[in-house]
Amino acid sequence: MAAARKLMSVRRDWRERDVRVVLVALIIAVATVATIALFAAQLQRTLVSSASSFLAADRQLEAENGREIPPDWLTEAQSRGLETGRMVEFSTMVFGSGGFQLVSVKAVSDEYPLRGQIETQGAPDRPRDLVRSGPPPGEVWINPRLLRLLELDIGDSLEVGNRNLKVSSLLVREPDGGFRLSALAPRVMMHVDDVTSTGVIQEGSRVEYVYLFAGDDTVIEDYYQWLEPRLEPSHEWEGVRDGETFSRSLERAERFLLLGGSLAVLLAAVAVAVASRQYALAQRDTVALLKTLGVRSRGIGRLYLRRLVLWGVTGVVGGLLVALPLFWLLTRLLSEVLERPVEFHLTPSALLPALLTALVSLFAFAYPPIRRLRDVPAMRVLRSQPGESGRGALADAAIAILAVFGLVWLYAGEISLVVSLLAGLALLLGALGLLGWLLVALLRKVRGGGNAWRLALVGLYRHRRASLSQMAVFAMTLMLAATLVLVRTSLLNDWQAQLPENAPNHFLINIAPDAVEEVGAFWQERGQPLNQLYPMVRGRLTELNGEPVKEAVSKDERIGALNRELNLTWMSALPEDNEIVQGEWFGRDAVDGVSVEAELAERLGLALGDRLTFTIGSEKVTESVTSIRTVQWDSMKPNFYMAFPPDGGLTDMPATWITSFYLPSDEKTALNAFSRNFPTISVLEIDHIIDRIQQIVRQVTQAIEAILALILAAALVVMAAVVSATLHDRQREGALLRTLGGRQSLLVRSTMLEFALLGGFAGVLGVAAAEVAVWALQFRMFEGSFSWHWQVVLPVPLISAVVLAFFGRWQLRPVLNVSPMLLLRRLE
Amino acid sequence: MNQMTNVKADRLTPMLRVDNLTHRVRLETDTLTILQGVSLEINRGESVAIVGRSGSGKTTLLGLLAGLDTPSDGTVELDGAMISQLSEDERAKLRAHRVGFVFQSFQLLPALSALENVMLPLELAGSESAEGRARELLERVGLGERLNHSPRQLSGGEQQRVAIARAFASDPSILFADEPTGNLDNRTGQSVSDLLMELNREQGTTLVMVTHDEHLAARCSRQFHIEAGVLTEPAAVEELTH
Repeated sequence: MAAARKLMSVRRDWRERDVRVVLVALIIAVATVATIALFAAQLQRTLVSSASSFLAADRQLEAENGREIPPDWLTEAQSRGLETGRMVEFSTMVFGSGGFQLVSVKAVSDEYPLRGQIETQGAPDRPRDLVRSGPPPGEVWINPRLLRLLELDIGDSLEVGNRNLKVSSLLVREPDGGFRLSALAPRVMMHVDDVTSTGVIQEGSRVEYVYLFAGDDTVIEDYYQWLEPRLEPSHEWEGVRDGETFSRSLERAERFLLLGGSLAVLLAAVAVAVASRQYALAQRDTVALLKTLGVRSRGIGRLYLRRLVLWGVTGVVGGLLVALPLFWLLTRLLSEVLERPVEFHLTPSALLPALLTALVSLFAFAYPPIRRLRDVPAMRVLRSQPGESGRGALADAAIAILAVFGLVWLYAGEISLVVSLLAGLALLLGALGLLGWLLVALLRKVRGGGNAWRLALVGLYRHRRASLSQMAVFAMTLMLAATLVLVRTSLLNDWQAQLPENAPNHFLINIAPDAVEEVGAFWQERGQPLNQLYPMVRGRLTELNGEPVKEAVSKDERIGALNRELNLTWMSALPEDNEIVQGEWFGRDAVDGVSVEAELAERLGLALGDRLTFTIGSEKVTESVTSIRTVQWDSMKPNFYMAFPPDGGLTDMPATWITSFYLPSDEKTALNAFSRNFPTISVLEIDHIIDRIQQIVRQVTQAIEAILALILAAALVVMAAVVSATLHDRQREGALLRTLGGRQSLLVRSTMLEFALLGGFAGVLGVAAAEVAVWALQFRMFEGSFSWHWQVVLPVPLISAVVLAFFGRWQLRPVLNVSPMLLLRRLE
Repeated sequence: MNQMTNVKADRLTPMLRVDNLTHRVRLETDTLTILQGVSLEINRGESVAIVGRSGSGKTTLLGLLAGLDTPSDGTVELDGAMISQLSEDERAKLRAHRVGFVFQSFQLLPALSALENVMLPLELAGSESAEGRARELLERVGLGERLNHSPRQLSGGEQQRVAIARAFASDPSILFADEPTGNLDNRTGQSVSDLLMELNREQGTTLVMVTHDEHLAARCSRQFHIEAGVLTEPAAVEELTH
C-alpha cells in the first residue's frame, strides 16, 4: 500500500494533464468566488457607509415635536460606544447690510458631520474645500446666494436674533443635503451652542431637533432595541438604504458580481467534471494493475479519496493566494472614488462559499467517475472491457446538475437565477439533441475526399459522439460567458440611460406662479431650456379613510413620508417615466382624485378608492385614490408621491413651482445673474452628486470587468480541458493520416475547419441559450428592460469558431513537427 | 493514378534503392548512431524481410525507407523518387498513392468503423469510389459481415485484417509491414501472414517486412539481417535453394 500511495503523490499527479486542469479549474473557482464574496461583502458595507454620508451619520433621530430628547438617551448611546452629534433646524429672519431674508438655519454641534464632509468656499472666487466639522461658535457659514441677497462680504456680520455672528465662509454643500427639497430658503449653518443666545427659539417655535449616531452596525441595532420602546410618534429613527440613487447602482453591481460568481462556479464545475472523468478513464489501467497486485476495492477507494482531499486543499490554498491580491486591488480601485475608503477587510464568513465551491466541485463532479474506479475489473490488465467508458455518465450528470444548482441557489440566494440558468440549459440540451440528429441525418451522406471541407464534415460525423459532447460543453461555457457579457452590457447601458450626459443637474425651487414665464425665458435665452415645470404644494397626509393615518398604519411601518411634509402637485399628463400600475390616469376634465406612488401605496396598504386626507396649512383636502403609479426616483427630475388633477383638490392652495434642467459646468456663472434677477428662487445644485455617481459607476464597472476577465479565463480553461480530453486520440489520428499520405496543409485545414464548425455551432447555441437566460434574469434581478444585443450575439459564434479553430491547430502541433513514425510509437 | 501506372510500367528501375544510409539521434550528452551505412536495392514485386532483434534498428530503417522520417546521411529512392530530398508534403503525396502500411499494433482509429478505417487512405487520395473499394477489400479479407463494427468489437486477428485491407486500399506499389504478426498468437499470425502474402501476390506489390519471426521471414524471397544498425544480406533465398 505504501508503494501504491507513493504512486499517487501530488507531485506525480501534477505531471498529469487532467489533474492540472482539475487543479487550475478549482483554483480559478475558489479565487473567483472568494474574491467576489469578499468584495461583495465589502461593497455592502461601503454602500451603507456611503449612503450614510447622505445622513451625515449612520442613523438620525429626529424629534419633530419641538422638544429635545431626554439627555440619558444620548448618554446611553455614548456608553455603548456610539458617536453622537446634535443639530437644531429652524427657520428665521436674518439681517445684513443689504436687508433681511428668511433663512433655514442648521445649528450643529462640534461632532457634525459624523459621516461625510462639508464643502465650503473661503470666498466666491476661491477654490472649494472639504472640511469635517461645522463653524465654531460665533461664526456662521452661509449659502452663496444669501451673500448676494444681503449684499454681504466674507468677514461681515449677520444678525441672527439677538446675536451678530461673523460670516466666515460660504457653505456650498452639506453632506446630508441629499435631494431633500425641504430647505427652500437659503441655508445658514451655525454652532449649536449659539442657538440659545440668539433667543430665536421660543416656546411653540417650529423647530426640529436632530440627533446623529454612528458606530458599529450591531451596536446601533442593540441601541435601537433599547430606544424603541421609549420613542414617541413624533420621533423618527432614520436609517439609510432607502433607495438613494447610487446605492441602487451599487446594489445592482453587487447582484451582477453574485451572478458572475455563480457562473464561475458553473464553469469551474464543468472543467472539473470533464477533466476528472478523463483522468478516471486514464487511471483504469493503473487500478487494474493494483488490483492484480492484491489491492482491494476498498483500498482503491481510499487511495483516490485521499487524492481528492489533497486536490481540494491545493485548490483552496491556491485559490485564496490568487483571491487576496485581487481583492486588495479591487478595494483600492473603489477606494479612490468613495469618501469612506473600502477597507481590505477579510470577512471569514465570506470565505465560506469558496470552500463550499471547492468541496461541491470535487465531490459532486470529480468524485463520481473516480469512485467508480473501484469497480474496474482486474481482468482489464489482460483485456480491456468494451463499453466501460460510457457507463454511468448520465447518473454523474444528474448528480452534478443538482449539486451545482443547489450551490448557485445557496450562493446567490435567488431561485430565479437558478430557474433562468436551468431554462437556458434546457433549451441548450434540446437544441443539441436536435442538432445531433441533424448532424447524423445530413452528414451521413457526405463522403471524404482530398477536399478539406469534406474531410472536416466527415470528421464531424465520424466523431459525432465526441463532437456532440464537446459541443455541449462549449455551448454551455459560451452560454454562461455570454450571459455575463449580456447582463454586463445591459447593466452599463441602463446606468448610462439613467444618467445620460445631459441629465438634469440643477433644480429650481420656490418659483412664484407669476415668475414662471420669466424664469423659462431667462434660461431659454441662454440656450438651456427647462424641463417640465410642476406646481408644488406642501402638506401632510393626516387621515386614511377618515382615521388618523398614524393609527391606520401599524406602528411597525415607520414610513418617512408620513412624518414630514410631502410635496404635492397637480399635473395633466402623466410624466414620461411614470407608469400606471392600477386604476386610470385623470381624464381631461377630472376635478377629483389623487394618484399615489406605488411603493408608498403598498406600504400604506392603499387600494383604489381609499380616501386620503391632507392637511395643507390650516386647510384639509380629502380625495379618493384613482390611480397608483411607479416613479423613477433616480431620474433627476422632480418626482412626487401624490399627484392631483389640474382642477382638483389643490387648485386653490398656495403653490410654488419647481423644475430641473441641465447646465454645463462652464455655464455655471449664469447662476449668479439668475440669483440676482430672481433672489427668491432657490437653486439646488446636484451636479456634484451626479458626477460622483458617474464616477462610482465607472469604478464599479472596472471591478465588474476585472471579474468578467477572470470568468472568461475560467471559460478558456474549460475549453482547454475539453479539447485536451480528446488530445491523445486526435494526435494519433493525425499521425496516422500523415502516415497514410495526408498532406500537412490538408490536415491543418480540415482540422481547423472541423473545430471552427464545432465552435460556430456551439457559439450559436450558447448565445441563443444565453439570450433565454438573460431574458428570464433581466426582469427579476436587474429591473432592466430586455433587448437583443446584436453586438454581442453576432460576434460570439464567430469568435468561438476562430478560438476553437486555433485550439484545433494547437493540438495538431506535435503531429506536424515530429516524424509520424515516432509519434505513432509514442502514442501507442 | 495514371502517373502511378506509368511508373509501375517502368519495370527496369528498382522499386527501392538505398545508398549509404546513416541515422543518428542526438541525446542529451552524446549522439547515438542507430543505422550505419545501409545500402540495398529491392526490385519490383520482390518480398523482402528485414530480420533483427529488438533495438537493432529495423523499425527505424522501415520508417526511413517509407519516408516517414528523414535520414541523417545517405539517400532513399522509392519508385523513382528521391524521397530523402522531398519535402514533407511531397512525401505525403507519394505515400498516399504508392505506399501501404501494416503495423504491429494495427493502428486503427477507434472512433471509426472497420469500413471507415479502410476508406481513410482512399479519401485522402481523393478517390470518389472509396466506399465500394473498401467493402470489396473487407470482403476479400473475410470481414464482409463486420463492416460497421468498431475496432474495439474485433479480435486482434480481425483488426489486423482490417489493417491489411486498408494497406491495400490505395493500390500501393510497395507495402511496408512492421512486425505484422507480432501481437497475434501463432495460428492467427499464420492466417494473417497467409493473407498478406496472398494479397501481395495478387496485387503484384513489392513487400518490405520487418520481423523477428524467422518463420515469417522465410516466406519472403529475400532476407536481410540487421544488427546494431548494420545491414547484411546473408544470401538470397533463391541462391540458397538452388
